[in-house]
Amino acid sequence: MTSVRVIGPEDDPPDGMRRARRRGRDDHPFWWLLPVALLLAIFYLYPVLEVVRISFTDATLLNSTYAYTLDSYRSVLADSALPRIWMATVIFVAGSVIGQTALGLLIALTLQAGFRRRLPGVRTVQVIVLATWIIPGVASAITWQLLLSEASYGFFNAMLRQVSLSPVAWLSDSRLAIWSATLANIWRGTALSMILLYAGLQTISPTLYEAAAVDGATAFQAFRYITLPRLGPALLVNIVIVSIFSLNTFELVMPLTGGGPGRSTEVLALAAYNAVFHDFNLAQGSVLAVLMLLINLGLTIVYWLASRGLR
Amino acid sequence: MSSRTRWKEGIPLYLALTVILSFFALPLLWLLSLSVRTPAEILIAEVRIVPHSPTLQNFVEVLRNQQFLGYLWNGAKLSIIGAAVACAAAAPASYAFSRLQFRGKTQLLFAVLGFQMISPLVIMVPLYRYMQALRLTESHLGAALVYAAVAAPIATWTLKAGFDAIPREIEEAAMMDGCSRSQAFLRIVLPIGLPGLASTFILTTMLGWSQFIVPFILLSQPGMLPISVGIFNFLGAYTGSATQLVAAASVLSLLPAVVIFLILQNFVVGALTAGALKE
Repeated sequence: MTSVRVIGPEDDPPDGMRRARRRGRDDHPFWWLLPVALLLAIFYLYPVLEVVRISFTDATLLNSTYAYTLDSYRSVLADSALPRIWMATVIFVAGSVIGQTALGLLIALTLQAGFRRRLPGVRTVQVIVLATWIIPGVASAITWQLLLSEASYGFFNAMLRQVSLSPVAWLSDSRLAIWSATLANIWRGTALSMILLYAGLQTISPTLYEAAAVDGATAFQAFRYITLPRLGPALLVNIVIVSIFSLNTFELVMPLTGGGPGRSTEVLALAAYNAVFHDFNLAQGSVLAVLMLLINLGLTIVYWLASRGLR
Repeated sequence: MSSRTRWKEGIPLYLALTVILSFFALPLLWLLSLSVRTPAEILIAEVRIVPHSPTLQNFVEVLRNQQFLGYLWNGAKLSIIGAAVACAAAAPASYAFSRLQFRGKTQLLFAVLGFQMISPLVIMVPLYRYMQALRLTESHLGAALVYAAVAAPIATWTLKAGFDAIPREIEEAAMMDGCSRSQAFLRIVLPIGLPGLASTFILTTMLGWSQFIVPFILLSQPGMLPISVGIFNFLGAYTGSATQLVAAASVLSLLPAVVIFLILQNFVVGALTAGALKE
């Protein structure tokens, strides 16, 4: 198929020729796509290429000159902080994926059962879960900081005191803080898993469950042998998307912990930010950004393959 | 099935719904509760959602703060300009994706969506550098253009869905009568597609209102900051000393997003999961 449908002179009477030519140019996608292409090229594509280029230099925010080198990769990969950054990132991303998927699936199943029985109040619960996803990330971070605070206004510790348990250092214990941040991210992101998995559930034919019921299957067996296998593609898409979103999360962790205590909650996104705006090391920040980009790219390819499998 | 057994079957469901509701609603209720407390009641460590003497004084105080009003104004300005530019740039492309046949259309459409997988954080280093070279750091224009670029993919997808819903016959009739395609687009398709355009504009404004990374990196003067970064600074300045004000400021910052969401629920959910839920 050719890219443009050209209207030839034979299609039109002679006096319509000028108009026909104009119409032909109008039909070319180039001009239609140009504005958005420019916007994305200038503010996205070019910076992406630049970040790769800068990662192969020794540029800093303090010097205007730089030379090409692989040293930035070497020093980032040899940095003694890197294993800690990986650890925090893996806990944050894997914890978010597992938590959001499990909770999202539970909610999706509950909503489906509730809607089917036309129970009142189900819709309200759905809207509240969705609202947590829509509010600005910084507001979520502040909300969770107030909940997890060890001061008088901290909700969780007030609850623990109520049942005579000793308070917990949710955000100032360097081993616990990353889990607290992950919990906050699960709260914020579960709605997305709920939407994706709920949509997945709708594609399963009710006749399968009716047949299973006739055969005397228990609810658990129906879930295990019908729901889970049929939900496979939706689960995969959900896992990939939640991984990407969690990996890119900055505006939740930054206000909640700032990467601390120590550097215990410094996930990859925060490490990239700190390298540039804290240590003024453009090149090392770019190396970390390239690492993020590569992981995102890999996940997007998995996502693309998975969603092709869905079709 | 009798109504009695139906009711009994509903019990585990209501249990599950209650657990879900508490996990998701309690944090927001707590924020709301702190925002209507007196400074003295902030210091009482007990689980009480409704304070002893609720007050709206905190909201009054926050809204009297000139700097906070500036944050709100800057946030509105940046997100509205960003959304307008995003919609204006995306509309012709969405129309082309909806109506024209050309090679690589599907691949291009997914490539546009692919930009959404790249965090603004990845591109911040070059962005900061060349925005500085163009003197576009500490500039609302520069920041709004980046807002527009971030919102452009989602705007393209949702506008395309809107144009898909408009029957081709209407503009084809106009083109038979001698209208060029761009005239048909401007005079016929856009006016009919106005509701979809308006929804997309509101959605991208909402996303801009939440945008944090872009202004956090490109703007630093207090008078320039939008609400998202503004409440982050509020947090640093007031936690501990005036937590009730931080809570009130946060409530004010999330209110516009929640109101827009409540009005446009299905549209918002559809737009934000575009691509993932397309068969």
